[in-house]
Parts: sequence; structure tokens; C-alpha cells
Amino acid sequence: MAQSNRLPQQPHEVIDRGSPLNFTWNGKNLTGFTGDTIASALVANGVEVVSRSMKYHRPRGYITADFWDPNGFVQVGPEPNVRSGHRELSSGIAVDPQNVWPSLDYDVKAANGLVGRFLSAGFYYKTFMKPASLWPAFEKVLSTFAPGGTVDLEAPKDEFDKRYAHPDVLVAGGGPAGMAAAIAAAESGASVMLVEHEHRLGGHLCWGSDADVALAGELAAAAEAAGVEVLVNSTVTGRYEDNWIAVTQRSHPLATERLIKARAKVLVVAAGLIERPYVFAGNDKPGVMLSGAVRRLVNLYAAKPGERAVVFSANADGDATVADLERAGIEVASVVDARSGANLIEAHGGSKRVSSIEFADGSKVDADLLVVAAGWTAPTSLLNMAGDRPVYDESSARFFPQHAIDNVLTTGGLAGDGTRDELVEHGRATGRLAAERAAAVRHRLQAFTVQAAPVDGDEPAWADDARTPLGRDPHPALFQSTSTGTKSKAFVDFSEDISNKDLVAAAKEGYDSVELLKRYTTATMGPAQGKLETVNTVAVLADARGETIEEVGTTVWRPPYAPISLGGLAGRIFNPHRVSAIHEWHTSNGMVPIQAGAWERPDHYGDPAAEVRNTRENVGIIDVSPLGKLDLRGPDVPKLLNLLYTNKWSKLPIEGVRYGIMCADDGVVMDDGVTGHLGENHYLMTTTSSGAARVWEWIENWLQTERPDWQVHVTPVTTAYTSINVAGPKSRELMAQLTDIDLDPEAFPYMTLRQGTIAGIDDCIMWRIGFTGELSYELHVPAGHGLHVWETLMETGADLGIKPFGLEAQRIMRLEKGHFIVGQDTDGLTLAPTTGLEPLIKLDKDDFVGKAELAWAMNDRLDELPRLVAIQTTDPTIVPMEATQIVRAGTTEILGRITSSRMSPTLNRSVCLGQVASAMAAPGTELELVLIPDGRRVTATVMEHHAHFDPEGERLRA
Amino acid sequence: MLLVPCPYCGPRNASDLRHVGESHVRPDPNTATPEEWRTYLYLRDNAADWTTETWYGTRCCRKYFKVERNTATNEFRNPPMPGNKLGGKA
Amino acid sequence: MGLFNLGRGSDGRPPKYSAAGLFAKGLTGGEWPRVWRDVPLKKSYDVIIIGGGVHGLATAYYLATNHGITNVAVLDKAYLGSGGSGRNTAIVRSNYLTPEGVAFYDRSLELYNGMTEDLNINVMFSERGHLTLAHSDSALRTMHWRAEVNKLQNIDSSVIDPQQVKEIVPSLDISPDAHHPIMGALYHPPGGIIRHDAVVWGYARGADHRGVEMHQKTEVLDILCEGGEGPDGKGAGGKVTGVRTNRGDISAPVVVNCTAGWASLISDMAGVRLPITTQPLQAAVTEPTKVFLPAVVVSGSLHVYVSQTDRGELVFGAAVDPFTNYNVRGSLDFTEGLAGHILELMPGVSRMRLLRQWAGLCDMTPDYSPVMGFTPVEGFLVDVGWGTYGFKAGPVSGEQMAECIATNQTPKLIEAFPLSRFATGELVGEKGAAAVGH
Repeated sequence: MAQSNRLPQQPHEVIDRGSPLNFTWNGKNLTGFTGDTIASALVANGVEVVSRSMKYHRPRGYITADFWDPNGFVQVGPEPNVRSGHRELSSGIAVDPQNVWPSLDYDVKAANGLVGRFLSAGFYYKTFMKPASLWPAFEKVLSTFAPGGTVDLEAPKDEFDKRYAHPDVLVAGGGPAGMAAAIAAAESGASVMLVEHEHRLGGHLCWGSDADVALAGELAAAAEAAGVEVLVNSTVTGRYEDNWIAVTQRSHPLATERLIKARAKVLVVAAGLIERPYVFAGNDKPGVMLSGAVRRLVNLYAAKPGERAVVFSANADGDATVADLERAGIEVASVVDARSGANLIEAHGGSKRVSSIEFADGSKVDADLLVVAAGWTAPTSLLNMAGDRPVYDESSARFFPQHAIDNVLTTGGLAGDGTRDELVEHGRATGRLAAERAAAVRHRLQAFTVQAAPVDGDEPAWADDARTPLGRDPHPALFQSTSTGTKSKAFVDFSEDISNKDLVAAAKEGYDSVELLKRYTTATMGPAQGKLETVNTVAVLADARGETIEEVGTTVWRPPYAPISLGGLAGRIFNPHRVSAIHEWHTSNGMVPIQAGAWERPDHYGDPAAEVRNTRENVGIIDVSPLGKLDLRGPDVPKLLNLLYTNKWSKLPIEGVRYGIMCADDGVVMDDGVTGHLGENHYLMTTTSSGAARVWEWIENWLQTERPDWQVHVTPVTTAYTSINVAGPKSRELMAQLTDIDLDPEAFPYMTLRQGTIAGIDDCIMWRIGFTGELSYELHVPAGHGLHVWETLMETGADLGIKPFGLEAQRIMRLEKGHFIVGQDTDGLTLAPTTGLEPLIKLDKDDFVGKAELAWAMNDRLDELPRLVAIQTTDPTIVPMEATQIVRAGTTEILGRITSSRMSPTLNRSVCLGQVASAMAAPGTELELVLIPDGRRVTATVMEHHAHFDPEGERLRA
Repeated sequence: MLLVPCPYCGPRNASDLRHVGESHVRPDPNTATPEEWRTYLYLRDNAADWTTETWYGTRCCRKYFKVERNTATNEFRNPPMPGNKLGGKA
Repeated sequence: MGLFNLGRGSDGRPPKYSAAGLFAKGLTGGEWPRVWRDVPLKKSYDVIIIGGGVHGLATAYYLATNHGITNVAVLDKAYLGSGGSGRNTAIVRSNYLTPEGVAFYDRSLELYNGMTEDLNINVMFSERGHLTLAHSDSALRTMHWRAEVNKLQNIDSSVIDPQQVKEIVPSLDISPDAHHPIMGALYHPPGGIIRHDAVVWGYARGADHRGVEMHQKTEVLDILCEGGEGPDGKGAGGKVTGVRTNRGDISAPVVVNCTAGWASLISDMAGVRLPITTQPLQAAVTEPTKVFLPAVVVSGSLHVYVSQTDRGELVFGAAVDPFTNYNVRGSLDFTEGLAGHILELMPGVSRMRLLRQWAGLCDMTPDYSPVMGFTPVEGFLVDVGWGTYGFKAGPVSGEQMAECIATNQTPKLIEAFPLSRFATGELVGEKGAAAVGH
């Protein structure tokens, strides 16, 4: 079967007969030509049935033979749901039918066709109900009917990409009007992007007359000459707010799909028209095709769609099809002119193909091809997305745009009918108007921006729409054949297997508005999203209700206009993460990393318990660069600190360091950290690592909106410094070797800071604080020297037993010390005083953020709130997992939970922090814990101090 | 993607900014009743109409600014956007 | 009732849906009766419910069924189920964080489980299991927290490890070097998906059978009040007397606001201010493929949830849009972010195509919990503030609101959700770990 249905050379064919391509269909080897679509190659090879329908598994052939063909979905290798009417053939591909079992020719599920009368729309809502226990089994069977191809989950990912564009004018649709608009806009000085869904410019001209094809060529050349950026095999898939336009480019040489996001100043919609199927009995039989399908197959691809045709024509395209068929040597048995009132009754045929056509006058003609030219649907999706509600025009039997939208213009078939010249002229006028408006928008945009360079001249006047409108040709209103008394189904939605009878029955049940009808029957919900089906659905409903199409109204077309692959939407996936200046050292010294927000940092270097012991005994260093750091300057910094922290800051001396807790105005803990007074009008604030960005915005918010008169300048310096905590009893001895700063505890006591030179690096900050509970110095050194200081510490400290420690060891040590972590030991309802830091809440301050709620809470209902307490299990070897619930003994009543827990290497027992109901918060209270995962219940005790270790803080004050 | 009229940077994609919310006056915490305070904390007009709200330029100027936006149509006014949403009535 | 009896049954009710009925209709070509009646709007009702979604219809159904209150009208400005009920991603679950949340949603799940029989319509509840993925230590900690609270209340919920995740959903990438590695998941076997429209139609049909009236295309323009401190007798201290609609005034002593997306606007009509901001939530669906995803998968930190319908479509949802907005047009950045996150979780689906996107309006409250029950205006009740979880709660909300109306007392299951908590500052603990969960 070597291309048995390939016609002799056609005058404007686009296939290259010198370049054959081998492919397989359903496992068989076939040949096509470069330039073929998969569909044209299959038709040229005599393939008649390409798929089975979803519900009844009826054999289906091509009906539109383009992107929207409801029957043309195939599997190509790992790719499901390929539109064979649009995808070009390529060498060696394996093409297979979808939705068939066990085979395309013999499909067992076609038996559904026999019981079709019982499978009315929505039937599943009415059955499979008893016994309820059987529904899962029913569901499994139903899900085998899922249409569509197969996802190959193991196939390698294709390349995808994205691009931003800022064209003055973006034209959707490269037919005559669209091309003319693009050319005129470009000639008027606009930057123009022209996007064509098909593989070549020209639209319907491509499969038209000699003159049509010649014009297409001239316009394409003119577009190139005018500097228009032309994208073929690309689709404008959406128009979003402010003319944010999505373009899916399938023609990029390197990317399977590229998503172009274009902020167009003016969008010109020239999407043309989509030929509409006609609803009559047997209208889904293979061999029933729309006129456009036949003309494309014959004229572009020299593929023979049948041997003997009947043409049902309501318009010039139907008439032209007759001429095309005759030229190609295909017999035209009969032409039925709908304009003179003739009508189709039924397409009869066997299981695989139409064999005869029955007409309203009772006559019957044998044919294997029925060409239907019944009218057009205006694809107004992009206009819907721009807010328009197109209105139905009865005399031309299609929808037209309703509103004029300033920055979305319409031309071509969407705007009206006309000769080639009229369409081109309307397109040109549209392009000029678009360019003028784009110029005005460009001027406004630039002028609006305060810091922009002055714009030359006055703003161009907003161009009025002075275009001569296109006419509207009368067209018979053909939606469904008037006779519906036949037994065969007349399909409205081929993808969903919905007939006109299904729709009428659903409407009579009460699902009688378009939206309810859609939802109940699933009509228009398939892959074409109503482009072929919506108007017929509305028309059938209108008939059933005895109303007009206008009264019934239509549904809103939602984006995307054409489906976009998930890969294309995702593009290349970038996953930036942050590392400190010492990162390379960590990786080459055995770091086991942990992702903490955006930061990748050392969790430990092999043995966190050993890191803890070494730090408690000798000295350890940890890279705490992710700690949020904000440089605060100005005379009003103390006021700011007083406002944002719950405690007092006015008297913090220079070289003083203080801990603060920050709340929101509902009194809930938001962040915490220490702030140091570096010099006159100069402070350094630290925040939690995860809170750094939030706190910066928070400060700016108060300064800019509530206290704009305060003089404070905030600079985020998190990554300007490398931050290193040097902790342990030998840390003073170590630091003494690296700095001239007087480290004597009298000269440099706990909670103070010094600035100076460390390891030869100037401008370092060093403060004495103690998250780990040890004598420790936190160094903030210029980030460029961070690695040097770290390495110097390691070298110098070698004799003292220095070892680095990671986040895990730090977490253990802070828990041993009872320091809480905001967001772990606190949650979205934790009021500051319940964390055990009541003394830090200074209600006698005039104002601070959260004051009102905290005052009421502390005065009236502190007893009702849960408290954060230290907890130790009775059995010291049990470490209750974080999130372990605390319950009333012997019951399931929840009284709290463990928020932090670890085995303490220092105490050799488990230590915890937890939130408990206030009644359970007194020291010594026995708690019952329900262990994870086995639910075993054990006891634990509330401790007197948060700190399990060194509660007096002697070590860190050493 | 909505264009937000940043008074400092010009029209910017909404993803360059953070929506802070309806702008309300913070009561004096020393004199406010709990009801007044919680009205400030929690209750919102949430009008489907012109709303005065605050935005923050997270990826542009780092400024907080107030604009009037119609939450039903997403149009902005005052500071006046150029024309009617970049010349569009949509 | 005989097999071929296609009219009303002897009890005056329409015939039940059944396989036998379908068979008979198939043979005879008979028609099903209207799913709900089309009746004239009366001048007065005992209860007016604003909003013909699952909450409003369920409230009406349970008023009639459990309390014999049938002189009830449900008003919708568009068609039944046109709001959030038809726009959600149809996920149901009960594995919430707080005891009050768990008890409430568990009752909802119980009602969903019996719904096909109760309402005599197949709502296609697919109890396929619900996985909430954890990509970090802290997320895993929160999963454990939820699991433990759930277990103590006898909810089937546990934390599973990556290998177990992979066994349930083979298409997930569990490699530890993924940017968002799957470190475990909260697994909730009773969770699943349901046909949301069928729930709406089932409640409407059930309520209709018991005498409740459904009035579509009936928009409430104002709520009529007297005696209140505000203008026109609205506001605290007043009481409701009826509503003004595009089809005229209707009087009623009880008016219930069961709207989502318009909750603030309707409550404003009675002079009641709410702690709500309205933000769209976007959703999308792909073209169908053969079924490969057996469970509902949620990633809180990636703000995405996905399930595959029996038709083979992937249905996705996201977090709410980042700004308040009454506009339900879809946005492109949502689909981009969604696709990126999905491909990080399931790299194999890059060739699937997004077919359609849409948005619904969500009424967000400060503590991720609803506002239910009485207001300062007598006779004006609310069932609002449902955020992104309203559909799951539809049945139980209807049941509890009906009890609230019938007994004039707040039922225990909704005691945690009064409007007054925003005056006393006693917010619900779901705010505690505000991880997105669907």
C-alpha cells in the first residue's frame, strides 16, 4: 500500500515528493513526504479509521484534518494526544492510534455502541449506586474508558524555553488580513510580531485559487521586507491583563516549545474563522468531512479523501471544493445546495465508512465521501479574554465582536466578510490604527515613569477608529438537520460522544442553561474546548427551549486558546540557592548539607554529637552567614528599635548588644535576634535566617508608612558579612591569637561588642553572645575575607582542638540551653509573654508593635494561654519525636506538644521544649506523651528552667 | 499579568511588587478599645469597587505606596495611569 | 413503583435513579422528570438562603430533612453551582490540624461517604487517598503534628517515608537531590475526590423533593433590616425583615449568607463587617491521558495540588492569588508556576498539555477558618469565610447551619467559628501552622 491515495501533482501542493519519509502507523511501515502532516500522510496511504470515540468506541476518520480535529489524536512515541492534522511528519516516527482496545480494527468496547441508548448523557450519576461498596470497582472499569494517549513517565524531558518580548503590535493570525495588518503597522514604524498557528503564512489563501496563493506569497514577502518578526507554527494562546500575551512557539530550532510572554501595546486579533460541523444522523462516520479538510488534503498535500463525493454546500467554500475535487479527478456524484433549501438527513454506511447519503427530499446517493460546508464559527477566545462578549448575528449565522476595545483590534473573518482586496485593505487600516495607538501608549508609558528621560514632543493624539467596516455576508443558519427522527446518532460533540438527543434530554431534566448543560453532559469540555461544538450546542438548546441563540447566550471561552504543554509552561527550571563565602571549604571538608530556606549549609560534618562535645570541651566554629543582618543608621534608630521590639533600647550604650523579640500588632511572635550599637547613630540588627527578608520589609513598612518623619536608613547586609560563631571554653584563648582587641572578661564582657582587626582583616565586628550557651564570640567579617578568617581560625585553633560544627550541633546546644526557635517552638498564635520572656515585654513603653494585644493578654488572660516550657522524659533514653502530643493522662484530650527534642550529648539524656496548656505549665507537673509512631504512652516532667544545662549562664558569661 | 503603576518605577508587572492590602489607620494602642483594635487588625471593607491599598516594590524601588485600584476590574487611578489602562478599556 | 412507571410515584415523588430506571428509559425512550422544579417566586418565606452552591443547598436540604422546615427559598444570582462549588478541585479530606477542625471535617467526610445513597445520585466519591508532601524538616514536623492530632481522634492519617510515597504514586520523583526533595508525606487514605457538580445537583434535587424552592438568576440587591444602629435600620441591634432582589422584595425572618466570593458584599447589605479578603484561586485541567496517578497529591510548600479524574485529566489547583481581586479570569503566571512545580514532582508529565484554566473566588480569613452562625443582626446568619476549603465542608456546614437556624443555638461542632472571635481575639489554631493544605 504505497501511498495508494496520493493524487498526481497538485498546482500548489506543499509536499516535497523528492523527500520521502518512513514512519509507522499502528505498527505498519508507511511512507509519506516532507511537508505532509501525519494526517495527510495517513490519508495518502488509504487509512480511513484513525481513532475510536470515547464512549461508544465508534470508528472515526478525519473530519477537519487540522489542529482541531476531534478524531485525529494519535500517540507519537512517548508523546500522547498529538494532533495529527497539524503535526508535520518526520522521519522514523512511530504513530499509533489511541483509545482502542485491543485494536483499531476490532475494538471490544465498541459494544458500548449497542447499549448506547442506555448510556444517555449523565447516566453515571444515576447508576452504580448500590451497593456502595462496589463503586470503587465500577470506578476502575470507568477509568479504563479514559480517552487519550499514554504518558511515558520514564521518557527523557524535552528542551523547553521562554522569552520576553515587547512588541508595539502583536498580530494573532497570518491570513490575508493579519499579514496586511502586520505590514501596515511595521511600515508605520511599529515593531511587529506576527504569529501564525499553521506552518506557513497565508491562512485560507494557501489552499485557494492561483490568485489566492499568489497573494499569500506577495504578502509574506512584504512582511519580511517590512521587518515584521514572523513566527509560524506558533499560537497566541492567551490574552491576559494589560495585553500580556502568551505565545506558544513550536517552531524554535532548539526548544520543543517556547513560551513567549509579550507585553504588546496593541493586540490585533486576526484569527480567521473555524469551519463548523453540521449535526445530522451519521455525521461522525468516516468519510464525512468538512470542506476545509478536503481542500487542504487535496490542494496542499495531494491526498485523496475519497473516490466518489457528495458535496453539501452552503457557501463559496463548498462550491470551491467541488471545483477542487473535479480538478483532482475525484467524482462528484451530487452537489446539494443548502442555499436553495436542500438538506441532509443521514449519512449511511457500514462500520468503517459512509456509503450513501440520504436527503430531505427522500433521495439517496451512493458516495464514500460527504463534504460538508455548513458555515463558520468565529473563534472569539482572545476577545473573550479581553473582556468582550461577542454577539450573534442571525443573518450571517455567526458571532461578531461587541465592544470596541482600545488596545485589542479585530480584523479578517472575525470582523466580517469581504473579497481578498477588501480583507487586505481592512487589515492595512487596522495595522495603521494599531501602530498609531501603540505610539501613543509608548509615549505615555515613558512619560509616566518619574525617573525616565523626558519624552520628546507632545503625546500623539489617540487615533480614532476610522476604518471602513467589513461587510457581513448572509449565510444560512445551519446547525442541526431539521429531521432528528432517525435512529442513528447525530453528534454535536465528537470528542465527548454527545448527540443532539442527549442535549435535549438533559435540558428537559432541568439542565437548561448553557453552563448547566455543559457540566451535566460534558459537551464542549473536550480537547477542542468548544471551537467546533459550542455554537451547535447553543443552537440545539435554543431549539429545545424554543428560544433564539441570542436569548440562550453563549459560554465564555477560557484560556488557553490552544493547549500548551506543561514543559512549555514551565520552561527551563532554575533553582537558585544561596551559599556562604565558606561553602567550598565545607564541601571539601565532609559537610553533610541541609537546605534551610534558600540556603544550603552544613547540617554537620559527620557526627553532630561529637561536634557538641568538642564545642563544650574545647572550641568549635560554625558558619552562621545566613543570619539576617541589617545595617541601621540615623538619629532615630533607638526609636525604631523601641517600636519594633517589645523591650527598651534607648539606653543601650555604644558597644552594647541586646536581645529583642519582635511581634506583629496581634502580639504574635514574628522574629527575634540581637542588635548591637556600633557607633553614634549606627546599629547592626540580626534577624533569624528565614526572617531576614520579611524583617527588612517590616522595618521599611513602619518607616515609610507610619513614621515617615523618622530619620533611619536601612541597608540589608546579610551577604556583605561572613558570620562565624566561635564557641567553647577555649574560644577566648583562640581569639586572643587573632586580634589585638582586649578580650579580658572585664574589658569585653558578655553582651557587648568590639570592632577591629581579626586575622589581619580590618572592619570586623565581634560580639559576645551565646546561643550555644558557651563563651562565644560572633564575628562579622567582610564577606570577601570570610574564607580567610575561617581557615585562619581552623589553623590557629588546631592545637586547642578546634572543630567546625554544623546546624544540627547548634540546634542541640541551643536546646540544651532552652533557647527557642521562632517558627518551630512558636507558631502563628504564640503571644510573646508565653515564651517565658515576660520580663522583655515592657508595657510601660509609650508604644510598640503588639503592645495593645500583649497588654490585654498579660492583664486578663495569660492563664488561658499555652506556655512554652522545658520538658524532660522520665526515661532519659526516650527522645520523643518533635510534634509528639501531650495528653491528659489516660485520655485523648490534647494538652500540648513537643516542639523541639534531642538527645543531649552533654547531659546524656533527652531534652525537650514544648507548648503546654497553662494548667500543665508549673514546674514539676507530670505530663503524658503519646509517642510517635507506635502510640506508646510515657511520662515526662515540666522543668523549672528553660535551660536544661547551665541555667545560671555561668559558662557564657565566663 | 497585571501592570501596577509604581510611582517611582513606572508600570511594573505585579510579580515585581507585593500587595500589602487595604490601607487603614492604626489606632493609638494606649487608648484603643479591644473592639477598635481588632477592627483594625481583622475587619476589612473588601469592596468590589475602588479601594485604597498599599503595594510594596519588592523587585523595584523597595518603596511602599498607595494607589486606588478597582478590585472588580483591576483598573488603577490616582496616581493616574496613563489613559485608561494603557489606552485599553479592557 | 413498577419498573416502567416513568411518572411520579405513588408518594408523589419522582422516581428514584437506578440502573433499572436507566434500562427502562433506554427501552422506552422515556424521559426523566425535572431534577428540580421551576416555580414562581413567593412574597415570603420562613428562611431565605443566599447562594445556590453546596453550602446553601445543603443548608436547605438539612433544614427540610432534619428539621421539617420547608418554606425555604435558595436564591442564586446565576445558576446553581456557578460559584466555588463548580470551580473547586473537588478534593475532600479530614486531616486538619486542630481538634475542632478535625471533628468538623470528619463529619463532612462521613456525610460525603453516605451521600450517594442519601441523595440517590452517584456523586462518584473516589476514596483514593490523599498525600501531603513534605520537602523540608519543618514541613515534616508539621505533617507529624497533623498526623498525631488526627490519630488521637481516630482519623486514619500517618507520616510515610519517600519509598512508601513512591509505592503509592510511582510517577513522583523521590530522588534526594531534587531541589524540593520529597522527605516524606502525610498520608490520609480516606481522602479523595468527588464529582462536585453531582453534589450540588443532589442537594438541590433532594431539597426540591421536600418542598424547598430554588430560584436561579435571582440576585439579592439589598437586605432589609429594621431597628439597627446603622442607616436604614441595618447593623448591630437590628433585625432582618427580608431581601430585595432583581425580581422584587421578599420577606423572611431569617436570611442566611451562604455565598463565597461575595460574602463581604452581602454582609455589608445587613451592616455586618467581616474579617475577609477575597482572592481568586486558580485551577487548571490537562487533556486526558490513560490514568496513571492513583492518589491526590499536595505539596504545601510548592502551593500545588493535583489529582487525575477517571476521565484521565489532571486537575490542578494552586494557592490564592497574591492580591485581593473579584476577577475570575485566569492568569498566565499561575500556569507557569504550576507547570514548573508539577514537573519538579513528576518530570514525566512534561508532554501533557494544559487544556483549560479558570479561577474561583476565595474568602480568606485571618485564621484559615470559617465564620459561621449568628451576627449582631438578629435573623441574619453567615456561613462564610471558607477560604480554599469550602467544598470539603459543604455537607457538614449545611447540617450545622440548619441546626443553628432550627434551634436558634450554636451547635457544638461550629462553636469554634463564631464571628465574635475576631472581637475577643480568640482565633482558631489552624493559624498555628498556616501551611497551605488542600
